[in-house]
Amino acid sequence: MCCSHELTEKNLQPLTVNPAFLERIKGMRFFDPHIHMTSRTTDDYQAMADAGIKAIIEPSFWLGQPRTGADTFRDYFNSLIGWERFRASQFGIQHYCTIGLNSKEANNEKLAAAVMELLPLFIYKEGVVGIGEIGFDDQTPAEEKYYRAQLELAKEAGLPVQIHTPHRDKKKGTQRSMDIAVEHGIDPRMVIVDHNNEETVQEVLDRGFWAAFTIYPFTKMGNERMVEIVKQYGSERIMINSAADWGISDPLAVPKTAALMHESGIDLNDIHLVTFRNAISAFAQSGQINETDFEGDKEIDQSLKFNGSTVLRGGQQPRRNNLSNIIR
Amino acid sequence: MNELYHYDRTRMDALLYSIIERNSSSQIQQWLQQQKDKLEETGALQRFNLTFTAIPRFTGKNVIQLSASDLTALALMPGFFIQGYALDKLARIWWLLQLSANDREQYIQAIESLFNAADMNELVALYSALPLLAWPEEWKLRTAEGIRSNIGSVQDAIMLNNPYPASWLDEAAWNQLVMKAIFTDKPVHLISGLDERANPRLAMVLHDYAHERWAAGRPVNPLLWRLIGPFIDEVFFRDIINVWNSGNDTEKEAAALACAATTFKPAQELLSGSPALKQEITGGRLTWDTIARRIA
Repeated sequence: MCCSHELTEKNLQPLTVNPAFLERIKGMRFFDPHIHMTSRTTDDYQAMADAGIKAIIEPSFWLGQPRTGADTFRDYFNSLIGWERFRASQFGIQHYCTIGLNSKEANNEKLAAAVMELLPLFIYKEGVVGIGEIGFDDQTPAEEKYYRAQLELAKEAGLPVQIHTPHRDKKKGTQRSMDIAVEHGIDPRMVIVDHNNEETVQEVLDRGFWAAFTIYPFTKMGNERMVEIVKQYGSERIMINSAADWGISDPLAVPKTAALMHESGIDLNDIHLVTFRNAISAFAQSGQINETDFEGDKEIDQSLKFNGSTVLRGGQQPRRNNLSNIIR
Repeated sequence: MNELYHYDRTRMDALLYSIIERNSSSQIQQWLQQQKDKLEETGALQRFNLTFTAIPRFTGKNVIQLSASDLTALALMPGFFIQGYALDKLARIWWLLQLSANDREQYIQAIESLFNAADMNELVALYSALPLLAWPEEWKLRTAEGIRSNIGSVQDAIMLNNPYPASWLDEAAWNQLVMKAIFTDKPVHLISGLDERANPRLAMVLHDYAHERWAAGRPVNPLLWRLIGPFIDEVFFRDIINVWNSGNDTEKEAAALACAATTFKPAQELLSGSPALKQEITGGRLTWDTIARRIA
């Protein structure tokens, strides 16, 4: 609206010089179904919007050090459906989340029981598209107990399940996660098995689950390997994500991988499925994804317009010039 | 005063429901009635909470249409504003009226726990409903807390077109609301009770703020002078002269309007120096709304 930030059309224009990969994917739309924005900066949101990311899913996870009380979980879940959602909307990015008790912290049994009591408060909220990320880390009995309890919760609420598969002893952990889900009568089509690699993908797809791949430097998938996987397995029930967090990771992993796939001659339709459509198909089973929410500048609540809110107009924010050493 | 509602709750309840009825399918109405019947039957808080959360899934988010008679009838709570609401937001506010408020403590705890586990849209609905909640004197701290929110839509719900803050906040909290609204670029002319609650302490805070902006080479929202006008003294008058001479027409008009709001002689003389502006103001053609439109 007004004067104090002097928001002009020029402020809202994207940078004119684009990195080469952005040129290659111009006009494409992306959905990153696994990214921990809580640990990322506002600059990342800006860059993600510029690269064509329209919507994201932020799974609940651990925060790099263990929590000691249920109230910090409550505040964390609250921030996923409140503050983080608003932060994303400022850049025109639709923010969804999955709610759950992560496997690492399931090992603190006293705390885990208290968190389980909190979950029903949050899983029915708007934009909560699943229970996640849950599953195994160390593959302890406590992890199994709370994994099972949360599968039951997902079944009751009719929500998809986002499964974290362990870094260590991955293949067995992945198999076990799927076995248990099936044992609880959960349809594999409602389960997204995450952090797959060359060793796990075949079985996950054969058993009818969704196979998600995390493009994450050094510890998970690289995107050249990902190109080979799509060449070999195609695009059915396969999706990629960045899982960017507080580690050395890349919030642009999805658009960058799309660019690399394009360069490698992968069909545009396959790229679309793997980087956008499949994630929507899987998580929209929650009934909580409305694609019109991230098509264009449609404002859902017209009262926002009535009030002339600047920040939400078209979801745009004034742009800081990164290349200048002058800060105004 | 110490009573549940400070307005006619029964008629407001009926009015909101009739608006919902005209803006929804019979299926939606059936679901809402069903929830209401079950709540009345059991009084179970868990059902109340779940329904509040689930409302958008059943009502959708179409923008409601209001008739002229709706707008008249809404004067039941002066300043209560629902134009442009999506159906889910209105239905949530109506649903809040269905909770029994007879037991003061229980009621307050129930509403507070809704706030504590609310998502962004729920927060917006809850804060928009402030003027209709029972035991209105109980929500002052909650409102002050909401003003501290960093979520734009939540700030809007409290600050704009909401009569609760002007009626109930103490001066410090009120001043914080106005100051934050200006700081975050809100359309401040939409704050209910803006002129009625103008006060010298707020004028002083805004004066300091204007000087900070000028020191930083940043412009000052001309609507700010609306809150300084009635308190113009020698100190504030120096600001007004600056604004008058800024070379910007809208700012000069704002300075003129500020001068028109005071009996401080030098300010009246300054205004008389521009008969054209003075005439515009006395003729009602130049108002603070004119300024608001110019900077929108």
